[in-house]
Amino acid sequence: MLNVDERWNLIDKIAKKTVKFGGYKATLKDVLGELTVKPWTGIPFAIAVIYGFWGFFCEFAGTLFTDGFMCKIFDEHWLPWLQSVFPGGLGNWFYALMVDAGHMENGVLVASDNCFEAFGVLTSGLFVPFGVVLWAVLAFYLIFALLEDVGYLPRLAVLVDTLLHKIGLHGYAIVPTFLGLGCNIPGVSATRVLETKKQRFLMLTLLGVFVPCGAQIGIMQELIPDMIGWVFLSLAIGYLGFGYVLSKIVPGKSPEILIDVPPYQMPTWRNIRRKVWLRTSRFLLVAVPFVIIGCFIVGIMYLTGAMDGLAWALGPFLTRWWGVPSATVAPLIAGFLRKDLAVGMLGGIEMSRYQLFTSVVLLSIYFPCLATFAVMLKEENWKQFLGTIGFLMAMVFIYGGALHLIGILFGGYK
Amino acid sequence: MKSKFGSIYFGIFGIVVLAFGIAEFIATGIGGYTGRWLDLSGTFVIWRGIILFFAGLFYLSSIKKFTEIHQLAKSVMASIMIWIVAGVEIFAKIASSIPGGEEGGWFIPPTEELTEIWIPPYIPALYLLPFSLMITYYIYTEKEEKK
Repeated sequence: MLNVDERWNLIDKIAKKTVKFGGYKATLKDVLGELTVKPWTGIPFAIAVIYGFWGFFCEFAGTLFTDGFMCKIFDEHWLPWLQSVFPGGLGNWFYALMVDAGHMENGVLVASDNCFEAFGVLTSGLFVPFGVVLWAVLAFYLIFALLEDVGYLPRLAVLVDTLLHKIGLHGYAIVPTFLGLGCNIPGVSATRVLETKKQRFLMLTLLGVFVPCGAQIGIMQELIPDMIGWVFLSLAIGYLGFGYVLSKIVPGKSPEILIDVPPYQMPTWRNIRRKVWLRTSRFLLVAVPFVIIGCFIVGIMYLTGAMDGLAWALGPFLTRWWGVPSATVAPLIAGFLRKDLAVGMLGGIEMSRYQLFTSVVLLSIYFPCLATFAVMLKEENWKQFLGTIGFLMAMVFIYGGALHLIGILFGGYK
Repeated sequence: MKSKFGSIYFGIFGIVVLAFGIAEFIATGIGGYTGRWLDLSGTFVIWRGIILFFAGLFYLSSIKKFTEIHQLAKSVMASIMIWIVAGVEIFAKIASSIPGGEEGGWFIPPTEELTEIWIPPYIPALYLLPFSLMITYYIYTEKEEKK
């Protein structure tokens, strides 16, 4: 096994023997390739690329599909139709579980007027994955595949290499991070590109906590479009801050990186189509059952009174330490199954804007969803897995408290 | 000759782009500005400002020996940045024009809504877009020379 210096020496020796040096006239693509990895030119360009990425994501998923067609289909046709034909009606337990639990207004139980709040298996259970999440994930993977095939992603890896070294990772950690922004599950699998156990542990922990998935982002965009920048800022601070602390306390090596940076090229539509289809269909296969099961379990817990019991038991902790209403216990439980579903549930709880912001951040970081958990367990041994869980719990406890403190100091609860 | 024209054109254009970038920064500070023709408001105005500001700087740094490949590449990069911002805005307008909107049917919003989407005020990148396309001529020329 060669160490890093020995590897470089070997590369030098091989290069001297095999590479012929002569005149080469750089092409425009070559120079653009260079410019996109140099910090002074590369960082502003990366900002423009991320702006484009985000802009397309919001318009394609939010404006065009979810707001443009899906809300209409689900809220104006599907929900009223189910409310009129489903047996039982408001107040019936089976109706509440499958269609609409309703909500109290001045002591009277009234029907929901949108699928976000209805929280039935056939309403929210279908609206979340097909009305919101599908389009968000599709938009995300489309742009991701495009950046991958054009050759920009490896350059982004080189660009962020120095920054990620500060938290014990290297530039290629941008791949699992970016993939995780689509869905944490392929993100977790992609941590295999990292060489050492330390790096993989760091990446898995940060991915599970500070990287929201596309589904969750889609719901956030619907629920709190004006605060999403702050949510991302909080998560980025957590990613880098806790990453730095972890890299100092976790033993192990963080070696240098050797990345093959391909030249820029035109993407092929066939490749893009295949990648998007593969990733989106895999995502749907995992997500849809969990959302439906999530709606079902939360519905049962409401009906049996278990949710009220939990809210009562955890209420003091939630309200005093995190500064969020005790009713957020329901989304926290649902979040273990699907984060997107849980963020959607926050829309139906009365709270201040700062509390909503804190709740969204806490939901993002408090635990990875069940599907991600399962994949993490596959990727880590038990010892590492328990270490990750322990760290997650400590982190969410501290971070939630810190957000509450910031809210008190800066008048967030006014 | 081509180099001199490029230097002058992108020198002037760079100043304009830079000025728009600074204007978007100022607009962020005063909570946004929307006039008859120009829109310097919205959640992402500061990011648009940053992008235009650096695009302007890239244009200005490329004017010396403009047709030299390393210099030309900076202008190409700056133009791509403008295309991204303008492209997102155009896509947003198209995306808003396909579904019927809150008051309309399934497709194409009512005429008043549709007009509101497409008429000015526009963000600066939309005004800069046609002028930035000049770079395609230099990309084409560079390609031809290579052949």
